Amino acid sequence: MITLEDYIVLATLLFMIGLYGVIVRTNLLMLFFATEIMLNSVNIALVAISNYYEDLTGQMFAFFIIAIAASEVAIGLGLLILWYKRHGNIDLNTLKSMKG
Amino acid sequence: MEHILSILIFFPAIAGVLGFLINRDGIRIYAITITMLEFLISLVLWFQFDSSQIGIQFVENIPLIPEFGVGYFLGLDGISLFLVVLTTFMTMIGIVSIPENTKDMRELLLTLLFLETTMVGVFVALDAILFYIFWELSLVPMLYIIGHWGGEKRIYASIKFFLYTFAGSLIMLIGMLVMAYLYFQATGIWSFNLLEWYRLQLPVDYQLWLFGAFFLGFAIKVPMFPFHTWLPYAHGQAPTVGSVILAAILLKMGTYGFIRFSLPLYPDASVYFITPVAILSIIMVIYTAMVAYAQKDIKQLVAYSSISHMGVVMLGIFALNPEGITGSIFLMISHGIVSGALFLLVGVIYERKHTKMMSEFGGLASVMPRYALIFGIMMMASVGLPLTIGFVGEFLSFVGFYKISHVMTILGGTAVIVGAIYMLGAYKKTFFGQVTKEENRKLSDLNFREYATLIPLTLLVIFLGVYPKPVLEPVDKSVKAVVSIMHQKAITEEGKNTIPLIDLSKEIK
Amino acid sequence: MELFLYTALFAPLAGSLFAGIFGASPKNIITGLVTSSLIFLSFVSSLFLFVHLYNGGEIVHVEMMDWIMAGDLSVPFGFVVDNVSSTMMLVVTLVSTVVHIYSMGYMEHDKGFNRFFSYLSAFVFSMMVLVMSDNFLGLFIGWEGVGLCSWLLIGFWYHKESATWAANEAFIMNRIADLGMLIGIFLIYWNFGSLQYDEVFSQVAETDTTILTWIGIFLFIGAMGKSAQFPLHTWLADAMEGPTPVSALIHAATMVTAGVYLVIRANELYSLIPEVGYFIASLGAFVAFFAATMALVNRDIKRVIAYSTLSQLGYMFVAGGLGAYWIALFHLATHAFFKALLFLGAGNVMHAMDDELNIMKMGGMRKVMGWTAILMIVASLALAGIYPFAGFFSKDKILEVAFDSNHYILWGVLWVTAGLTAFYSFRVVMLVFFGKERYKDFGFHPHEAHKFMLWAMSPLAVLAIIAGFFEHQFYNFVTGVLPHYNFSEEIHHVVGQLILVTTGIALTGIGIAVFSNMYREGVFSTVLQNNFIYRFLDNQWYIPKIYDEVFAKPYIELSTLLWNRVDVKIVDATVDGIAKFLHTTGEKTRGMQSGNLSHMLRWVVAGFTLLLVLAVVYTYYSI
Repeated sequence: MITLEDYIVLATLLFMIGLYGVIVRTNLLMLFFATEIMLNSVNIALVAISNYYEDLTGQMFAFFIIAIAASEVAIGLGLLILWYKRHGNIDLNTLKSMKG
Repeated sequence: MEHILSILIFFPAIAGVLGFLINRDGIRIYAITITMLEFLISLVLWFQFDSSQIGIQFVENIPLIPEFGVGYFLGLDGISLFLVVLTTFMTMIGIVSIPENTKDMRELLLTLLFLETTMVGVFVALDAILFYIFWELSLVPMLYIIGHWGGEKRIYASIKFFLYTFAGSLIMLIGMLVMAYLYFQATGIWSFNLLEWYRLQLPVDYQLWLFGAFFLGFAIKVPMFPFHTWLPYAHGQAPTVGSVILAAILLKMGTYGFIRFSLPLYPDASVYFITPVAILSIIMVIYTAMVAYAQKDIKQLVAYSSISHMGVVMLGIFALNPEGITGSIFLMISHGIVSGALFLLVGVIYERKHTKMMSEFGGLASVMPRYALIFGIMMMASVGLPLTIGFVGEFLSFVGFYKISHVMTILGGTAVIVGAIYMLGAYKKTFFGQVTKEENRKLSDLNFREYATLIPLTLLVIFLGVYPKPVLEPVDKSVKAVVSIMHQKAITEEGKNTIPLIDLSKEIK
Repeated sequence: MELFLYTALFAPLAGSLFAGIFGASPKNIITGLVTSSLIFLSFVSSLFLFVHLYNGGEIVHVEMMDWIMAGDLSVPFGFVVDNVSSTMMLVVTLVSTVVHIYSMGYMEHDKGFNRFFSYLSAFVFSMMVLVMSDNFLGLFIGWEGVGLCSWLLIGFWYHKESATWAANEAFIMNRIADLGMLIGIFLIYWNFGSLQYDEVFSQVAETDTTILTWIGIFLFIGAMGKSAQFPLHTWLADAMEGPTPVSALIHAATMVTAGVYLVIRANELYSLIPEVGYFIASLGAFVAFFAATMALVNRDIKRVIAYSTLSQLGYMFVAGGLGAYWIALFHLATHAFFKALLFLGAGNVMHAMDDELNIMKMGGMRKVMGWTAILMIVASLALAGIYPFAGFFSKDKILEVAFDSNHYILWGVLWVTAGLTAFYSFRVVMLVFFGKERYKDFGFHPHEAHKFMLWAMSPLAVLAIIAGFFEHQFYNFVTGVLPHYNFSEEIHHVVGQLILVTTGIALTGIGIAVFSNMYREGVFSTVLQNNFIYRFLDNQWYIPKIYDEVFAKPYIELSTLLWNRVDVKIVDATVDGIAKFLHTTGEKTRGMQSGNLSHMLRWVVAGFTLLLVLAVVYTYYSI
């Protein structure tokens, strides 16, 4: 039997992986992947908990997140391509125009 | 004359804005005229003031943010009346004292006019938020005066002055907000109206915290030891007119705040804090007097002497009886006049020699006898000689505080000794002895402009020393009202015992 | 009568203001004449008031106007002329008139002639306020006023470093005492609710003795400063830097007796606290002796007289302390006459000697200034207490009081002091007017003073001779308000012997001074001068040195230390430290804003983790 805990553990693990990616990766594309993983881990947790409480709100939230993530990726990738066309790379370390 | 207080506040500011239209040649006359008119208005105020009444007069109340009880609430009693008159008077004297060849004359004069608006505002505002706005606004013109027309380290001095006092008043603002919230809790109505706050009786522990918050704001302004170090820098760097206004009026805002806010709002906390405050005041009196004695720069000496005198004012306030508080208010006025005059006098020699080091002078009494005479009178007033203005306030403050503590009065009373030591020492170094520097022999005595500023001050110093009644009487009435509020509001046994019961019915004739 | 009162009080003020207008202008004899005549007018008015009271008239009491009114405190400008104050007024205005006229000659070549008269008249005004006031605070006005004038006049020649130093010393030392006086006034106010003499004294009988004792002590501290009693005495000798007429008027006849006046004025208070009275008497006896020893060896003519003033003030305090107020007042009056005379005589000598003060450089001067010599000898005889001069009557009464009240030690001290007094006063007379004309070796050309100056001094000389004979009239007059002093029965039997003994020691003192001077110029041999005691006395018991080391220098050092180390390095440095801390925090954390998105993300994660931990901890603790 797959219990709620298993889902939560899976979500946490995925989240950690995503977080790790966010911290160490400098390639913007990889960063997007990492954030997607984190979002999806949250989705898993939301769906699992909503199922556990038999409350649909959580699943609705998960849909919202998927929708937002999709649009976000669309805009983000667009910007990314634009950036690549201008600078020839998508390395985070070169994005320093906001240095204080 | 219904809106006389509003006129009094905004007349200089409006005149200041219009002043940008005046050309540079006429601006001096313009500013002098404006401040004279302002002074006349304040005199009208004094004559219209009904000294047989105890309460607040000339009230104007227009709600600004009714939901939060913030209003444009002005009013005047005997305590603030003379501080307002002092403000308009000293601003006038200060503006007359500015020499013709000052750089950016127009800007300086207009800044002073704006400053006058804020200072008058502080003394007549009876709404906490309004008070706070004027209080903070007064920093800005002073910042410019020190920062633009000051000496070598003017930027450092002005920033220090601004940040230090600003930090203190922010804490005071928090105190005000908490106070309003407590008022809301108690009554269900938001209000920043000071007179309504007076009616609120707070538990002792709340009083202690709120007293502390207000204390920081006021104590830095006074300035109390150990928050005083911005003052010598500010005075040392400020131009003469800046020092005059700073010493004569801005410092009084702090002590005024104590009487207007801390005492009547938190009577039990005031009683509770008598001893710590008194100890700080005594340190102020003795310590700064000794530091003053060690100074080589005469302006710094006068600056430190100001702190020492404000220590006596603080003792008078925390006597919490009519004698002491009346005395402290009188001392504020007298210190305003005397220290203002002393800074003007220092300015006189600074203008001639561009140095304030006492070692550069010596034997001035034979070169500039009239200057030496006026300096001598002011020095004696500062030392607190009877029949000068300085004595009355000092005496009453100590009389009042003697009721609280014998030993601490004796310690604080050493002010009369240490004050004489540094003042006479400075006088001796500057005026007595042989003329040591050849170039000093050619120094000219006072000119017309300097007479115009110093003679009125000298006359006032002697007149109010001999006949202080016109000032003391209204002040005393209002102080009795404050003390009776305090006595009624006090919760603790100790508070009731320390703050005397005043029979106000005797005061209404 | 009120008119006379106001005239007596304000004529000197008018004179002072008049002379003050010409303060900075060159010498103008008119200022001298106007001020002198106004002081004389004041004297005449005082005399009228005196006569009025002497003939049993009512006490004159006026309230001119309100002064300080705050809280329950109400102090008017009120003036009272009763038997005590009218006596004081008479003495003050008389000596002042003489000194004013004398000064016109003494200061004739001085640049600050007008200024001098302005100050001098201002002093008289302050002194009149002091004695005429009907309340303690009014007395304090005069008290401080005479202090101010004393400061101005000691430092009159302000180009001299020593003069200005002495002036400041006098002012500051008096201020120390004034604090004591102020505390006394505070105590009076909070215990009696008033500062009016009559209201206070009507309540003293019902008041707790402890409080009265404290009031008595604090008021007496004030008196100690003004009357230069030990340990606040050093300023008086240094005050001799002022012009000699000033020394005669302020530092001999009038201002320094203000302390005695205060004790006499507060007699209702002091008679209830005999312990304090006894302390006052003991201190007085000590000072009498102590000052006399310093006068023995001093070579400065004015300082010798100053110490003798100190010594005589000690006598007055003995009388006052033992409850014989009228005798204290009597000695105060006679002393004012002969001591002012002595000082003015010394002024003539100084003038003749171009302001030379060292008596060792004088000698044999009777040949050129015979009248001054006679006047000074008269004054010295009065000071030594030889019959029939004024000093005999008053001083002898004080010794009688000490003996009668069984204070034999006090009596003994005073008795020895009487001998010392006679010795040093005649040592001065001998060294100045008799013996070899040493001044010739130093190239001085002394000359007698102006005739009018000598005439001006003559009233004092007459009074120094005859004042003692009015003892009974004086007694009857002042005991109208002062308590009687009841001598015991036994004293009448021994009073003859006492007088004999006292006169004996005085004559012995004179004799030693006269004969040793004939035998050896300068009285003291070189062997004696190297003696420890001699040097001890010559250095004024080393007290000025001790004060300098213990108070003055440490005060300067501590002040500098407080400024340089504490104020700049600690208090201000703390404030700047806070500002610096904020600044460096900013500088340090500036690196966070690298603009690198990756770094920012890491900070986001770090912040997120921190918040998470906080949330967990908070939830854990709140449950």
